Amino acid sequence: MDGFPILSLLTFLPVLGMIIILFLPKEQSNTIKYTTLVITSLQVVFAVILLGNYNYGAGGIFEQSSFQFIEKFRWIEITGISWIGTVKVDYFMGVDGISVPMVLLTAIISFIATLSSWNIKSQLKGYFALFLLLDTGMMGVFVSLDFFLFYIFWELMLLPMYFLIGIWGGPRKEYAAIKFFIYTLFGSIFILLVMIGLYFSATETIASGERVFTFNMLALMDQTNYSPDGILSPFNPENMRLVAYIALFVGFAIKIPMFPFHTWLPDAHVEAPTPISVILAGVLLKMGTYGILRISYPMFPDITRDLMWYIALFGMVNIIYGALVALAQKDFKKLIAYSSISHMGYVLLGMASLSTTGIAGAVFQMFNHGTITAMLFLIVGVIYDRTHTRGINDFGGLANQMPVYTGFVTVAFFAAIGLPSLSGFVSEALVFVGAFGQESIRVLTMISTLGILLGAAYMLWTLQRIFFGTLPEKWNKLLDIDKREYAMFIPLTIIIIFLGIYPSAMLDIMNTSVNTLVDYVAVSFQNMQLSGF
Amino acid sequence: MDASLLTENLSYILPEIVISAALIIIVLFDLIFHNDKRIIPYLAVAGLAVAGFFIIDQFSFEGSAFATSSSANNFGMITVDNFGSFFKLFVVCVSILIVFFSFSSEEIQKTFDRLGEYYALIFGMILGMIILVSASDLILIYLALELLSLSSYVLAGFTKLRDRNSEASLKYLIFGGVSSGLMLFGISIIYGMTGTTNLYLINPLLQAPNLNLITVSFAMILIFTGIGYKISSAPFHFWTPDVYEGAPIVITAFLSVASKAAGFALLIRLIKTTFVTFTSPDGYWQLINAFDWQALLIIISIFTMTLGNFTALWQNNLKRMLAYSSIAHAGYLLLGLVVMSDQGLTAILIYFVFYALMNLGAFYIIMLIANKTGSEEIDDYTGLGSAAPFLGVSLAIFLVSLTGLPPTAGFIGKLYIFIALVDAKMIAVAIIALLNTVVSLYYYVRVLKHMYLQKSDSPKDAILPSTGQILFILILLVPTLLFGVYFTPIVTFAKNSISLLGF
Amino acid sequence: MNSIPIEYYLILSAFMFTVGVTGVLIRRNAIVIFMCVELMLNSANLTMVAFSSYLGQSAGQIFVFFVMTVAAAEAAVGLAIIIAIFRNKLTVNIDEINIFKW
Repeated sequence: MDGFPILSLLTFLPVLGMIIILFLPKEQSNTIKYTTLVITSLQVVFAVILLGNYNYGAGGIFEQSSFQFIEKFRWIEITGISWIGTVKVDYFMGVDGISVPMVLLTAIISFIATLSSWNIKSQLKGYFALFLLLDTGMMGVFVSLDFFLFYIFWELMLLPMYFLIGIWGGPRKEYAAIKFFIYTLFGSIFILLVMIGLYFSATETIASGERVFTFNMLALMDQTNYSPDGILSPFNPENMRLVAYIALFVGFAIKIPMFPFHTWLPDAHVEAPTPISVILAGVLLKMGTYGILRISYPMFPDITRDLMWYIALFGMVNIIYGALVALAQKDFKKLIAYSSISHMGYVLLGMASLSTTGIAGAVFQMFNHGTITAMLFLIVGVIYDRTHTRGINDFGGLANQMPVYTGFVTVAFFAAIGLPSLSGFVSEALVFVGAFGQESIRVLTMISTLGILLGAAYMLWTLQRIFFGTLPEKWNKLLDIDKREYAMFIPLTIIIIFLGIYPSAMLDIMNTSVNTLVDYVAVSFQNMQLSGF
Repeated sequence: MDASLLTENLSYILPEIVISAALIIIVLFDLIFHNDKRIIPYLAVAGLAVAGFFIIDQFSFEGSAFATSSSANNFGMITVDNFGSFFKLFVVCVSILIVFFSFSSEEIQKTFDRLGEYYALIFGMILGMIILVSASDLILIYLALELLSLSSYVLAGFTKLRDRNSEASLKYLIFGGVSSGLMLFGISIIYGMTGTTNLYLINPLLQAPNLNLITVSFAMILIFTGIGYKISSAPFHFWTPDVYEGAPIVITAFLSVASKAAGFALLIRLIKTTFVTFTSPDGYWQLINAFDWQALLIIISIFTMTLGNFTALWQNNLKRMLAYSSIAHAGYLLLGLVVMSDQGLTAILIYFVFYALMNLGAFYIIMLIANKTGSEEIDDYTGLGSAAPFLGVSLAIFLVSLTGLPPTAGFIGKLYIFIALVDAKMIAVAIIALLNTVVSLYYYVRVLKHMYLQKSDSPKDAILPSTGQILFILILLVPTLLFGVYFTPIVTFAKNSISLLGF
Repeated sequence: MNSIPIEYYLILSAFMFTVGVTGVLIRRNAIVIFMCVELMLNSANLTMVAFSSYLGQSAGQIFVFFVMTVAAAEAAVGLAIIIAIFRNKLTVNIDEINIFKW
């Protein structure tokens, strides 16, 4: 695999597809659909090839040598004249054990979402072009190792997402779309500000031996690269690292979404068409937590330590609050949206533990939540396509009418609850074990376990209301799922069951990197303490 | 002044001479050949191209011409340096685009029999601007400013097709007259205090210990009024929305880009040559204590962008909305000056290049749509996304670039401004500016919402631009996207262009 | 010139300037507003000439020639625009010329 730019290929393959689609005539809707399907399945193939060639023993996180599939070349080079010296930005991509699961997830979810887009009727050309652009943005975020590149991909997603919700969405689509846009842009300006602050605080040595300011994430993680007078430098007694950390955290938290920044999510989910909900819940939400693990943790180990209790607190609030609100929902899709908030709380809690078990649980939970929630949204989509209603109380007794469908629903629901032998169980258990082991957040962890109970309550209650009891007259002509829907559900179900029985398949990928990350945070924290900060 | 000195001095102002000659040729041609008006635009482009050639020729050349005395520090009325050449080139390039712009403008084509006048006035503006950006004497500054203003007053009301043209013209004239009166009074006070009108000679005199600082501040605020009016910064912006809405779109585009650039060049030159003692090695300017420009500009810029952005939220006319957006952009641009460093200056130059691309592009598409639909109301844009796919997508990209989202050039422009701010440790100002960006998103996206998200009740006629028009849009669109991912050439160019004579 | 101190000129010109600014702000007739602008320019001219004579320099007086020329040009353009408006509206009262809000 040496020298083969597989990451660029993964990232820019959808752009290629987008260009092809833009040149196709509007009328050939099938060609457009199949082009997208081919592109996304190629992406899955490449992701699997990537996994096949991935070396499980390399840690990544902070040293370039243990990252894999690296692509690095100079992208922007401006020779300094008077101030600031030389400006150099690298096109720098690479993966480690934290990004590989996310790359896999993105490829799989994009593929499933394409299948689920088959029912889109109007303006197909625009829809699939934007869809593929969104795909590029998502993939790019997970493979970028240069902050500047990362930010460009991060922002690249906003506009396609706005249109996908705004044009193909439900009745209140305009409101939901602009709310999503404003919220996430508001978050990303803080990320931008911290990015510029970091840029001016650290330098790296380039090939010519000169020291230049840098956007290179790995260089920004090395505390020895920071200059004494940088505003975000630990060596500057008047540094603003705490403020920057909080700003960065808010930027990522909006994407997660963390209470109290979560209000855009239910609106966006309810109004978005099914495939976009799938993407949103399956991949987009992971970017927030991925960003925290990739950027906040290694670059600000000291502050992370200081604030871990608060991160756990917000995780707990997310779990309990999301579950309680979900319990009160009458709209099926809104219920799933709030359950999503609750499940992302586990990720936060696991991350806050700063232990190998907890963080591995968090990353695993990111992957599992991606697959499970994607499936849940597909389930809502299937029933909504047939009945054009999402009111939970409008249904009942569907189990007899649509037995296969009910079977898939049961798997997904039980996985979401965290039933043993399904994937959700393993990650939640790891999160709790990891968090419980950390004395300072033990109380918060114990309160959080209530979330499991509440989760079981709203899921089972929903199952009962929709699938058991008597079937209303009007639904006795509903058809069970068709072949295309089988094709969407079966891969996800296999992943959920497989990872429930054999979680090591995923845990082994991330293990080395998570260990490296935990060590790195602990060690640099100690180093900083030793040198008097 | 002997003959050789005169020739040398004249060689410094070759671009200006070319523009004046072209102006005269256009007027004469119009008088002599009534029936061949079609050739006039080509004459204009040829004149601009020749002027552009001489400007490029002047790069990396510094000098000062037309000194009034032959004393030791021999600073004249005109300064040639990279900074001035950059803005001259900028003005000339924008003007060439504007000439092509005018080809497609229905408003201008309807007044075809007055095409000679039109181009003569445009050249009056160009001449005013390129003298303005290189003038280093208050007398010349005032004259250039008036030449620019007088030509633009007339152009704002040029078509006389609708009442609002004349009204725009009258408002422009009255506000312009008042602000130039205020500025002139400020100049007269400065003259009285220092006994000279040359910016370079004023500099050491302002460092005198027994200066009456209150009077200096008063005079400087008066002078700033005149400049603030040109760059349409609050609170001197009142004319902007009315004139932008009332004037022909071509002129609106020209005013919002070139005239603003000339105003900024003047402001920068005034501050840097008059108030800066030296530039420290890290690029920060040491200001004379006589007047606290930084405090004034921080307040003005924050006020300008906040007011521009928030007022734009309520606008229903797209031209008027872009007028407020251009006020907001003046605020962002002022931020580059607030930091008082070479870095900020570079950011301004970069921003101007990108701003010209995206703003001209947006106005051009609005004009093409208005040619067909006769309306600039945002409500009438409903459903245009499918009626005019190419125009719709292009307008969307220009608006996204104006918001400052990657991967467009607008993002790089803003990024450089913020980099300058963060480096100067003005974090609070940077945060206010960034929050303003979020506000601006709302009104730019509103246009997109009308074009794409809302369904129009009645089907719209398709708007198909001609090949030439598509080409023109691509000339603006491709760089807007390209510079968003690869901006090395522009940044390098801007960095090479920040040197002013003597600093 | 020695007989009249410079302060007198400056006070007079400051007074003229104030009258001009006030007039612009409170008068509603476009032509009167225009005259007030001219008053502002002339007060600046007076200052310039007074300083020029006080400092024993010619630069200020040369400046005044330019300003007078510009003022004349501005008046020509201004009156032309006012006439264009008057033809359409039959008024030069700026409160009645209000397609846009003032």
